[in-house]
Amino acid sequence: MKKLLVVMLALSFLVPAIAASEEKAAGPKEFVVFLDKNARDNHYIPSGWMGDYGDIKMNDQAADNPHTGTSSIQFVYSAKKSQNQGWAGVYWQNPSNNWGNKKGGFDLTGMTKLTFWARGAKGGEVIQKVMVGGIKGTYPDTASVEMGPIELTDTWKQYTVNLVGKDLSYINGGFGWTTTADLNPDGATFFMDDIKFESDPDLKPEGKKQQAMPFYIYADRSTAANHFIPSGWMGDYGDIKYDGASKEDAYLGDTCVKIMYSGKATQGARWAGIFWQNPANNWGGVDAGFDLSKATKLTFWARGAKGGERIEEFKVGGIMGEFSDSDSATIGPVILNKEWTQYTIDLKGKDMSYIIGGFAWSTNVDNNPEGATFYLDEIKFE
Amino acid sequence: MLITTRKALHSIWMKLSSSKKNKKNPQYRAAGYKRFLLVACSFLFLFLLSACQIRTGVYIQKLENQHYRLMVEGRPYIVKGVCYNPIPIGENHEYDWWSDPAKPWIADGKLMKAMGVNTVRLYQVHENSDAVKQVIRDLYNLYGIRTLLGDWLGFWEYPCPFYGDKKFQDKVKKQVIDMVMLYKDEPGLLGWILGNENNYSCLGHVNPWSSPEIDLEPDPQKQKKMRAQIYYSFVNEISKEVHKVDPNHPVGLGNGELVGLDSANEFCQDVDFVACIIYRGKTFGNLFKSLRATFDKPVLLAEFGADSYDAYLKREDQDMQAFFLQSQWNQIYENLANNKIGEGNCIGGTVFEWTDEWWKHNPDNPEGWSVHDTEGGWSNGSYYFDIRAEKNMNMNEEWFGIVALDPELEQGINKRIPRKAYYVIREFWKNPVLKKVRGKKIY
Repeated sequence: MKKLLVVMLALSFLVPAIAASEEKAAGPKEFVVFLDKNARDNHYIPSGWMGDYGDIKMNDQAADNPHTGTSSIQFVYSAKKSQNQGWAGVYWQNPSNNWGNKKGGFDLTGMTKLTFWARGAKGGEVIQKVMVGGIKGTYPDTASVEMGPIELTDTWKQYTVNLVGKDLSYINGGFGWTTTADLNPDGATFFMDDIKFESDPDLKPEGKKQQAMPFYIYADRSTAANHFIPSGWMGDYGDIKYDGASKEDAYLGDTCVKIMYSGKATQGARWAGIFWQNPANNWGGVDAGFDLSKATKLTFWARGAKGGERIEEFKVGGIMGEFSDSDSATIGPVILNKEWTQYTIDLKGKDMSYIIGGFAWSTNVDNNPEGATFYLDEIKFE
Repeated sequence: MLITTRKALHSIWMKLSSSKKNKKNPQYRAAGYKRFLLVACSFLFLFLLSACQIRTGVYIQKLENQHYRLMVEGRPYIVKGVCYNPIPIGENHEYDWWSDPAKPWIADGKLMKAMGVNTVRLYQVHENSDAVKQVIRDLYNLYGIRTLLGDWLGFWEYPCPFYGDKKFQDKVKKQVIDMVMLYKDEPGLLGWILGNENNYSCLGHVNPWSSPEIDLEPDPQKQKKMRAQIYYSFVNEISKEVHKVDPNHPVGLGNGELVGLDSANEFCQDVDFVACIIYRGKTFGNLFKSLRATFDKPVLLAEFGADSYDAYLKREDQDMQAFFLQSQWNQIYENLANNKIGEGNCIGGTVFEWTDEWWKHNPDNPEGWSVHDTEGGWSNGSYYFDIRAEKNMNMNEEWFGIVALDPELEQGINKRIPRKAYYVIREFWKNPVLKKVRGKKIY
């Protein structure tokens, strides 16, 4: 009887211990970024305001129709370009305002996705992208993952960022979003709720899916259909003015791209150009881009302000870095007409499975001593 | 083949020995034996002769699976090569190293052999043909290293290479044929490479040239195509001439990247292989596949590599160079004939380059020729470890050697110090295990 008591006693200690160790081995199932203001489980603070931060208003206890709990977080983006940036966004950081200059963040190893709920006040609001990680500095995040653009509906919808295979051992930028005035010319009001990392063992790594055609680089200024960002300014970048919402005789829709090249050789290169990249400023350092294997050509419309402007090269792909474009194709030199003319870059036989640099143009002062103003529209893969 | 021959001999013997007249006569039988032996020897001789009729010289074989293989004296040959231009510290490209009494190629050849190098690429021969022959012979006789000889096709002549001009064409053609006549019978010769990056002149970016017909064409895109047609047709013509006087060595088209090869496909079908100059960092991307689609010829990576100076951290980084070079050789091997994972159209490579060249950053300043310059000369994002260098100028032209030079002399030449890449490639060639290319350094 005594023996039995000893065994029972031992078991009573052992069973909870085993259970605890199993729980520890399995790890937590979720890790909250933000639930409700002052929620005990919040781990990050929406402190990193970027771009036209003056265009953002935040209400972190919006009581109007939260997804769960008592409140959600509301953002009102005015698109007034208060800081002349044309874009704005917010990062959730730990500790607050940590742009990688101090140690903070969390080891989120084991998490496989980030989920959040969002809705627009009217529907149709466009978030350019959401981010997990990606903050650089002395203490950089170990991962940088982006998803977008996202066109919101007026009802709550859950969105997921796949993190399988990513190194989440140090994440200071828990979550973030950006958007632009071009995508939301009249501003945007939207709500977010229940932002959290989750561990889903059944989730598989996100392979690049082959994009359906047509796949737009530029359709119109305020459309979520646009892919790639005209961020790669090259050569005499000071000679370029870019207007992604020109209303000067657009070929189709409301707007077109207007480019003014002064030919002043501001940086001494005597040439200039712009690459449309994914994500912005990706010169092959970030594993991103699109699988455009279904594309057989890239077409675009172009015209010169006067006619006779000479563009040395229009290009698809060709960015070389740690993560290089899988191929490249060019046409040029092209002498532009005053009337809209369609041009085609033939992609038959090309490997378009991994494209970071969707489109580019370049020109030089030798062939445009007075500079050049030209327009582009309907840039798309087909 | 052997079984068939044995059967034939047996049947002849049976015929000879079964003759009714001679059946029982030992004398006749002995004579029969003799006759049999005579016929058998003739058969054996014919058999050996046919076996020996394996094609001699150097040529490219297209296999049934459409793969390409370089053959030397009837055996497959992978070009494991280096670009060779041993300019000593303190001299520039005008230095006549061919006549250097210290014979740098003797010490270099020894080091090369120890590494596994079987080929050197020489861009242009010197006018002293005896000296050139000596280099080719020494490398071959002492170390078994073969030579690829090239010609710039007048690319660096002033004012510019007028490829549309008949006189210019004739002059260049004669120069090439003279070279071929002089060296075609050298046992150490592997082949010819016509031009280097001359195709870029068709775009008008480097050494631009034109012709009266091109000048009349207002569309610059058409001008580009016209130049490409003229240039590649010209190379094709030279190639045909070379084949006439030397059917024993293949002719390669030196080409910067794959630029213009759609035109080469139309106008330059008589070259045997394309010798590409490629600087794409850790991989050659889809080069091999793309060639299949545009200009289906075997490819020699005639110039590729990585420098060993980190322009961002401002220090030598042999690991960085070794990482890129191993990765590049890995891809070359993936695409050799009969490798299931590649395109099967690669015949090897000649890495740029054997030794550093200290004159390159500032070719016109003799003072600079004695200084190992660390300033970046150009930018290439594919070499991403040091792309954050000032103005992204990460390519250090004086640091491409897999063997470093020391100002100290040894046997009359700058002391050779093999870099890590030397050993890494040596080991890879010994045991070429193909690895998936990843973005991490190998150390």
